[in-house]
Amino acid sequence: MLTSPAARAGEARQSALRPLSPLIAGRSALMIKLENVSKVFKGDVVALRNANCDIQKGEFVFLVGPSGSGKSTLIRLLNKEEQPNIGRIYVAGKDIGELSSWKVPFLRRNIGCVYQDYKLLTNKTVYENVAFALEVIGRPRHVIKTQVPAILELVGLAKKTKNRPDELSGGEQQRVSIARAFVNRPLILLADEPTGNLDPATSVGIMRLLDRINRTGTTVLMATHDRSIVDTMRRRVIELDRGAIVRDQARGVYE
Amino acid sequence: MAMNLSYMVRETGTNLKRNPTLTVASVLTIGVSLFLVGASLLLGDGAKNATRRFQGGVEVVVFLDPQISDAQRDSVGAFIDANPLVKKKSYVDKQAAYKEYKRLFKDSPDMISALSAKDLPTSFTVVPNDATIDSVEQLQSVLSQRPGVYRVEASTDAVRKIQRLSALLTTGLALTAVCLLAAALLLIINTIRMAALARRREIEVMKLVGATNWFIRVPFMLEGLAQGLVGAGLAAAGVFGLNRVFKDRLTTSSSSGITLLQSFVVDQSHVITTSILLLVIGVVISVVGSGFAVGRFVDV
Repeated sequence: MLTSPAARAGEARQSALRPLSPLIAGRSALMIKLENVSKVFKGDVVALRNANCDIQKGEFVFLVGPSGSGKSTLIRLLNKEEQPNIGRIYVAGKDIGELSSWKVPFLRRNIGCVYQDYKLLTNKTVYENVAFALEVIGRPRHVIKTQVPAILELVGLAKKTKNRPDELSGGEQQRVSIARAFVNRPLILLADEPTGNLDPATSVGIMRLLDRINRTGTTVLMATHDRSIVDTMRRRVIELDRGAIVRDQARGVYE
Repeated sequence: MAMNLSYMVRETGTNLKRNPTLTVASVLTIGVSLFLVGASLLLGDGAKNATRRFQGGVEVVVFLDPQISDAQRDSVGAFIDANPLVKKKSYVDKQAAYKEYKRLFKDSPDMISALSAKDLPTSFTVVPNDATIDSVEQLQSVLSQRPGVYRVEASTDAVRKIQRLSALLTTGLALTAVCLLAAALLLIINTIRMAALARRREIEVMKLVGATNWFIRVPFMLEGLAQGLVGAGLAAAGVFGLNRVFKDRLTTSSSSGITLLQSFVVDQSHVITTSILLLVIGVVISVVGSGFAVGRFVDV
């Protein structure tokens, strides 16, 4: 499972450089906690209804449910792109509702995000796309110079660093996006249908990568529609239906 | 927080190059409007200079009744001397008045032959202590009520006229400048908003990976600042140039109308202060404008 010598070397280099996150200071084993969280959008659209759940550090969790069941809203709430109307959300032991807006960027530095549409910058190369994520949070150049090649090796794109996103396959683009999300060693990786645009074989490759990232201790929360992935991985499954958590199963399947 | 300076500079450069037409448009608008602001300020200074100069030469001429007796004339003279506003006075008799009359009308012999010395009134020329318009007018009204005085004239009207004219010009220029400054501000806001719009994908990613608001905002504000500074620089250069041309023109030609204008020349230190002021206005407008423009895009 993705254990080429090159990838292993890359991993060794990263762990030596692994930055200590300020949020980890609490040493809470509880990474994400939702307490009676509800989110209602304009026009009484209920996206989340009294959601409660605990996710421990290092867990891999699938978020399943039909479109419009609140999966994406939940992910956006964790990232503080949206605020809940009711309830509290704790990330690494901190109530993010009490985070002042200027601190939100620092929360996001501990949360990597991967989306269905990759959100890559088309005018930048693979290397620049990943380096950009470190550059804009003020990481020094020597850190960027070592971290970016290492992470690109980890995701298996060491040979394509100079290509632009439109010269890559969908799977490769998603790898770039994962590299960007993970290059800063976040505590949590949120993935909103990361395989939504990919064929099954490519999806398997992406899932191996996410699994690998999960094994470094990163908590992964992945919203998905992909039945076969959920059924194969047999990880914790949280099912949403019209905004309510209707199932929370330790080694679950899609249905 | 450690700000990556080279990143900021690079981004600002890219932004400036992205939309050259809009960039040039806002730079020129800032330049022209600030130049007008500067010109109106300098004109105001010049008008002040000119008034001060004219006031130095203000005289009050007290024309006496043609049939005045010597005793009456002496009593008017004593009355003038007793006034605390008066610095000194001199008597102009009929011969002296005729000589002046002939000098004034030397090009029209008809006028000279029409009058002789005995037809002209005698007068006192009075130099006031304080040449401000108010005190001159006060002196004028006190003297004109004295018996034996035919009429009192002073050059305050000319000063008044110059002041009114320059006030009008200054206000007009200032109003135009304010309108243009507003246009410049809106143009900067628009330019920066376009730049932010063109880069909304990047801004989205920056927010996603946890770039701070200021980190996102600063390159755009630097872009605005660069436009403001270049525009203000142009305006300052224009103001210097204007003053230079004005001075050169005036000192090389010597007709009498020009010497009047010469009093409008302001000294270099005024021009420098004005230029600094223009730079400050340019910086404030551009930073405020671009900060406002990009604010909406970076709110978390």
